[in-house]
Amino acid sequence: MNGQIGVYVCECGPNIKDRIDIDKVLEDISSLENVKVAKRFPLLCSNDGKKFLEEEIVKEELTHLVVAACSPREHEQTFMTVCKQAGLNPYLFQLINIREQCAWMIPDKEQATAKAIQYIRAGIQRVAFHRPLEPKEIDSIPDVCVIGGGISGLETSLSLAGKDRRVYLVEKTDSLGGMAGKLSKLLPYQGSELSSVEAKIKQAQDNANIEIFTSSEVSDVRGFLGNFDITISSHGESSEARKIQAGAVVVATGFGLYDPGNDSQYGLGQIDNVITALEFEEMLGKDKLLLKSGKPPKSVALIHCIGRKELGYCSKVCCLYSIKFAHRLKDMSSDMDVTELYMDLCLPHKSDQAYFDEAKEKGIRFIRSGEDVFVKNKGTQIEVEYDRDGQKDSITVDMVVLAPAMVPSEGTTSLAEMLNIPLDKTGFFKEIHEILDPISTPIEGVYIAGCAVGPRNIPESIVQSQAASGKILSSLIPGKKIKPEVKVSEIREDFCTGCQTCLSICFYGAISYDPIKDVSVVNEVICRGCGSCVGSCPSGAIRSKHFTYPQLYREVLEALR
Amino acid sequence: MEESNVLVIGAGLSGMKASLMLAEAGVHVDLIEKDSLIGGQTIKFEEVYPNMECATCMVSPIQQDVLQNGNIDVHLLSEIEHVEGKAGQFKIKIHKKARYVSLVNCIGCGACYEPCPVSVDNTFEEGLCQQKAIAVACAGALPNVPVIDAEQCLRLNGKDKTCKACQEACMFDAIDYTEKDETLDIEAGSILVATGFDLFDINKLPQYGYGKFPNVYSAMEFERLYAQNGPTQGELILRKEKDLKSIGIIHCVGRKEMGYCSAVCCMYSAKFAHFLKHKVPEAKIYEFYTDLCIPGKSHQKFYEATREKGVDFIACEDVHVDSQKDNLQILYTDGKGKESTVDADMVILSPAMIPGKDTEQLSKILGIDCDQRGFFNSQNEQLAPVATKKEGIFVIGCAEGPKDIPDSIAQAEASVGITLSQSR
Repeated sequence: MNGQIGVYVCECGPNIKDRIDIDKVLEDISSLENVKVAKRFPLLCSNDGKKFLEEEIVKEELTHLVVAACSPREHEQTFMTVCKQAGLNPYLFQLINIREQCAWMIPDKEQATAKAIQYIRAGIQRVAFHRPLEPKEIDSIPDVCVIGGGISGLETSLSLAGKDRRVYLVEKTDSLGGMAGKLSKLLPYQGSELSSVEAKIKQAQDNANIEIFTSSEVSDVRGFLGNFDITISSHGESSEARKIQAGAVVVATGFGLYDPGNDSQYGLGQIDNVITALEFEEMLGKDKLLLKSGKPPKSVALIHCIGRKELGYCSKVCCLYSIKFAHRLKDMSSDMDVTELYMDLCLPHKSDQAYFDEAKEKGIRFIRSGEDVFVKNKGTQIEVEYDRDGQKDSITVDMVVLAPAMVPSEGTTSLAEMLNIPLDKTGFFKEIHEILDPISTPIEGVYIAGCAVGPRNIPESIVQSQAASGKILSSLIPGKKIKPEVKVSEIREDFCTGCQTCLSICFYGAISYDPIKDVSVVNEVICRGCGSCVGSCPSGAIRSKHFTYPQLYREVLEALR
Repeated sequence: MEESNVLVIGAGLSGMKASLMLAEAGVHVDLIEKDSLIGGQTIKFEEVYPNMECATCMVSPIQQDVLQNGNIDVHLLSEIEHVEGKAGQFKIKIHKKARYVSLVNCIGCGACYEPCPVSVDNTFEEGLCQQKAIAVACAGALPNVPVIDAEQCLRLNGKDKTCKACQEACMFDAIDYTEKDETLDIEAGSILVATGFDLFDINKLPQYGYGKFPNVYSAMEFERLYAQNGPTQGELILRKEKDLKSIGIIHCVGRKEMGYCSAVCCMYSAKFAHFLKHKVPEAKIYEFYTDLCIPGKSHQKFYEATREKGVDFIACEDVHVDSQKDNLQILYTDGKGKESTVDADMVILSPAMIPGKDTEQLSKILGIDCDQRGFFNSQNEQLAPVATKKEGIFVIGCAEGPKDIPDSIAQAEASVGITLSQSR
């Protein structure tokens, strides 16, 4: 090549100057091929330093720039900006870290200098093979498709819909409200009432910017952040599938309940007056809490953690709603004998324990029963046997309410496949990062909220829905273009054999297969430049635009020389 | 109403995440932090459950993003003095303490520490080691610029007005003893309160022997003890040297007194056991708990894996710590009401999360409520969990109550969602 590379070594005050013989470095590298100029400067990241670099690029007519200074984390962006201002493509630049990796690591000045020379030489070799890269911009659609019309989906829709953003709310059943809509009462603190769920439904229905599809499902999704093509199919016989476009998708498909009927130890379906929590809610809602005999119960046992052992997780909400049931029973009749059989009480929110303490004061009995609870017929009544620390005991009651674990809702697996997003070991949708990014998925523009991600209560579901809105409102702004990653992968069609190995490797769903040409194709808008596909390609057809084989080969060869 | 400026109080994980999202949306953010560094409590952790990821590795890119973002003005050593106005037009007065070290000139080389004649307890390290009166809190602190402790510095506290040891050592002209505290006036459309939590003062509970027996540690002390960038570089060097054959971890310290469960202690106590089993595999480890609170889809697996490593989980009540000869003793009443004892060489106490100490004062300045436990109150705990009774003010993360990192982050993102939603 006929490059004119400029190499600049930063003294970084005493940090590099005192520990590396910079003159020796300059002497060594200035004679290298293609190196037009090699100089030192006291502090390149200072305003004086940046101005100096900018002038040098212009004056020396540099085609490539190498800076030997600190970690790229610290100042890569700084020097890339300098390049831009000097009219040099910022990808024709390489930062060599001789501070953290040489000066600060090696006490012996001679050795540190030798290593710095080696690194800078490697960088010079690499940068010669850099090619200019240009950022792209694409148009985006601000509209959003929300899947699931429960409390999470409603909350998401309401906070997103506006004059310049439409929301398509798709609900599988024939009505909105989801599981929360089936509850007779929400948890009572701070005066929240079921009517607030009904109010949200009304608001959504009245909002001209929310289009509601009930008895409908999303049957096809294609595209990427800012540009999804979505097909919504109605369950009705006559109606046609509707095609919409949206910039983002929010999955708020809620949860299902573990079926304790699988487990004969609880007697569900076999013994009268053994019911599930949801059936209990329905009875409360109709104000008809009665035994099969038509009489009200005098004693009720509430059994927690049904299915926990089998599924391997705690569902977080059952302890508290079982306590809510106990409160309701006691409020109905103060003589009611109420027993809670639990494993460990899970009361993780700040008001939970006070609610539990109140229940105890009302005379509700709490028994730590352990895992082995058996429900048996005992005449017109029911016997509940349990085993605590090897001691067997039992109680006799009129009614048993089972609190089953929350499980992924029906259809979760097929929806995950359609959206190309992963599930975790429990079968719920998987966050891209469980700790740092609990709403996002590997597919940009597809977000997950509420119990579709895992068991949680109503306030947490609402928070996640508002969080999904936050993600969308901050990244998908009407009229603003999307700037995808620049350092993406590319496939050379003449080398590609169409084996599709890369399709299964790509975490972000950026690669598709073109059956006509029999080659894989990278969607540069989705690709994030991780390079996994490059390593996976058996025919070497894929390269990462800023980590090409010549760049890496030259760099490593020189570094190991 | 277009949202042009938002004030975020507290630069922990919640505050940083919210700031970055707002900045991405083109909103200018003033991020106020009372400490000299950003990152909050999370940067004190070596690893976080359930995947045992390195916390500093997770958080430091976020810290860098915050410091380098052109839409975010970070105000360190700053506290809110006064707030007036309403949603859309809050006027805020901020008191900013002098740092005496220029954030622009300083490159973080650390040449100024050594010559400083004054050593003080390092509070970031829970007092487990000392630092100079000019120092950064720990290796990797961001911004990597020291601060002078004006109360301890001989020149600034008047004990030796001629001392200029640090200034002489600095090659970048970064130290300025004449810097004064300032008052900043800021206008903002919304305010996000992300002031985090404190920990229950275990000195109030003498039954656990903290302060009396040297090898009884608080959870945060233990976090620093096992941190690679902590005072012992991750080595378990105890206050009183001891071979670690038996270690007890006591949950729920202060729960009864505070009247709530802190949601995270069971899991981080199990995390400690994971770490200890790795570090001292032959040691017996006991966890003393009242109720295991391990909600969420992945936490029980983590607990089961901990048990499989041979960690003993004991459900019990009335735990207290005593000492016999050279050993610590943990006394407890088990589920059947039987009293038992376990010998231990080290005890770790997991204290309740409590409201940050400035919560009440800040609630008065902002005109929002606190609940009976002293945390900020949301507008409606069930249906509007991050809004407050005052329009335009939101409360996120542990300032609202104990919660784990993902729940805090979700709240941060939610507050951004509502802020942007309302400002269209």
